[in-house]
Amino acid sequence: MDTNQVILEVSHLEKSFGTHSVLKDIDFKVKQGDVVSVIGASGSGKSTMLRCINLLEIPTGGSILYHGKDITDPKVNVPAYREKVGMVFQNFNLFNNLTVLENCMVGQIKVAKKSKEEAKKRALQFLEKVDMTAYINAKPRQISGGQKQRVAIARALAMDPEILLFDEPTSALDPQMVGEVLSVMRTLAREGLTMIVVTHEMAFARDISSHVIFMADGLIVEEGTAKQIFENPAKQETREFLSRFRNE
Amino acid sequence: MISEMNFLERIGYILSKYGTSYLKGAGTTLVIALVSTFIGCIIGFLVGIVQTIPVDKTKGSRNRDPLAKRILLIIVNAILKAYVEIFRGTPMIVQAVFIYYGLSQLFGVQLGMWQAAFLVVSINTGAYMAESVRGGIISVDPGQMEGAKAIGMTHFQAMINVILPQAFRNILPQIGNNLIINIKDTSVLSVISIVDLFFVHKSVSGALYTYFESATIVMVIYLTMTLITSKLLRLWESKMDGSENYELVDMMDIGTQLGSKQRKA
Repeated sequence: MDTNQVILEVSHLEKSFGTHSVLKDIDFKVKQGDVVSVIGASGSGKSTMLRCINLLEIPTGGSILYHGKDITDPKVNVPAYREKVGMVFQNFNLFNNLTVLENCMVGQIKVAKKSKEEAKKRALQFLEKVDMTAYINAKPRQISGGQKQRVAIARALAMDPEILLFDEPTSALDPQMVGEVLSVMRTLAREGLTMIVVTHEMAFARDISSHVIFMADGLIVEEGTAKQIFENPAKQETREFLSRFRNE
Repeated sequence: MISEMNFLERIGYILSKYGTSYLKGAGTTLVIALVSTFIGCIIGFLVGIVQTIPVDKTKGSRNRDPLAKRILLIIVNAILKAYVEIFRGTPMIVQAVFIYYGLSQLFGVQLGMWQAAFLVVSINTGAYMAESVRGGIISVDPGQMEGAKAIGMTHFQAMINVILPQAFRNILPQIGNNLIINIKDTSVLSVISIVDLFFVHKSVSGALYTYFESATIVMVIYLTMTLITSKLLRLWESKMDGSENYELVDMMDIGTQLGSKQRKA
């Protein structure tokens, strides 16, 4: 497969809630196998941008091309698109009425129309990947935050997505649980899954990203390789933002 | 001779003479309450689901829903709202008379006893349940819907597989409440000559002039029915919540499970 193929192309993306403009003019591309980290202060529009890519928020301007097709077009089959672009949330959003195993099966059965047997096999395969097979019969309320997030990742992977979006996946976790989730994400990055990760974990972003985007006030201030952004940022704003993390 | 008996003897006398009538009346009451609560729940769920269909009416939004869909939903929702308000806002005893005699006078439809009872109580319960279901759906964490959409579910797939099962659990106490209310409130159906427990009471006490004794019997029967019902509902609730414990699973077991299933297939 051509590793340089552009999967996602965001151009002039805008989002405003009423008169409040959250995203002003966002442009970037994601290629096959890229791990894009989006960093920036809270309120800079990172999460809104990610939610726009999955159409959980409807952009108010600009376009998002997925394999060259603008998915903000009202005629686009949104559920079919979302099946290919998975999302992992800050608050996990596991289905509370289903067990861990069922959480990873329901989408495969109802959306991807897989057989129960096949769905179970795939679900177990990905639950093993995130080391959660022992808990398949537990309900979400019975497991820890880090475990929930690992199940949420398995649930997303089971849909065989082309891109996986992570919306601050470790922000709701206790420090000791952050590691277990990041280590799963590291594995995925190594295996070549295309990912866009909104995160506050700077060390993680520096280590795994092929590309880093720094946002402030609804705009992309600076973007480049992890090396460029973290070792030699061009803009004063980026330096100031990163200096707060250097001291840690 | 009944005037010479004491209170307990009179109760004994009434029971020996009319015991089976009371039991039949109680059975009728229970059947009407159970069936109508069930149908009422279905009505309530349908109304609640329609009322929570999301509509994008933002002017200028690229994903604004087509005009026809918006107008249709506005009309349907107005009708449903009127239904809920009318049947929550009037007494069931009046609704019974209104529907029973209205149907026969305006449309020449003569309802049988069961049809009339099921119709009136179901419609009434549906109006109450609609609001409970809407509340139950709204009270489910919006993240659940987002999680479902993120794996490609449509609004209705998310409703059926994720939201409604949780909403149902949330409103189960409300459903139980309605069932208990219905067991008691079917007594008003005696105005359209439905032979329920209260109708039996009226007939017996009218025939023997034993209002207090018959009322005592009927009180005990109603209370027994509602107490048992409420106990059963509690059991159902805790069964739905499932065990607080779960078994850790050994990967080896899963392997053999899958293996055996595949062999069968």
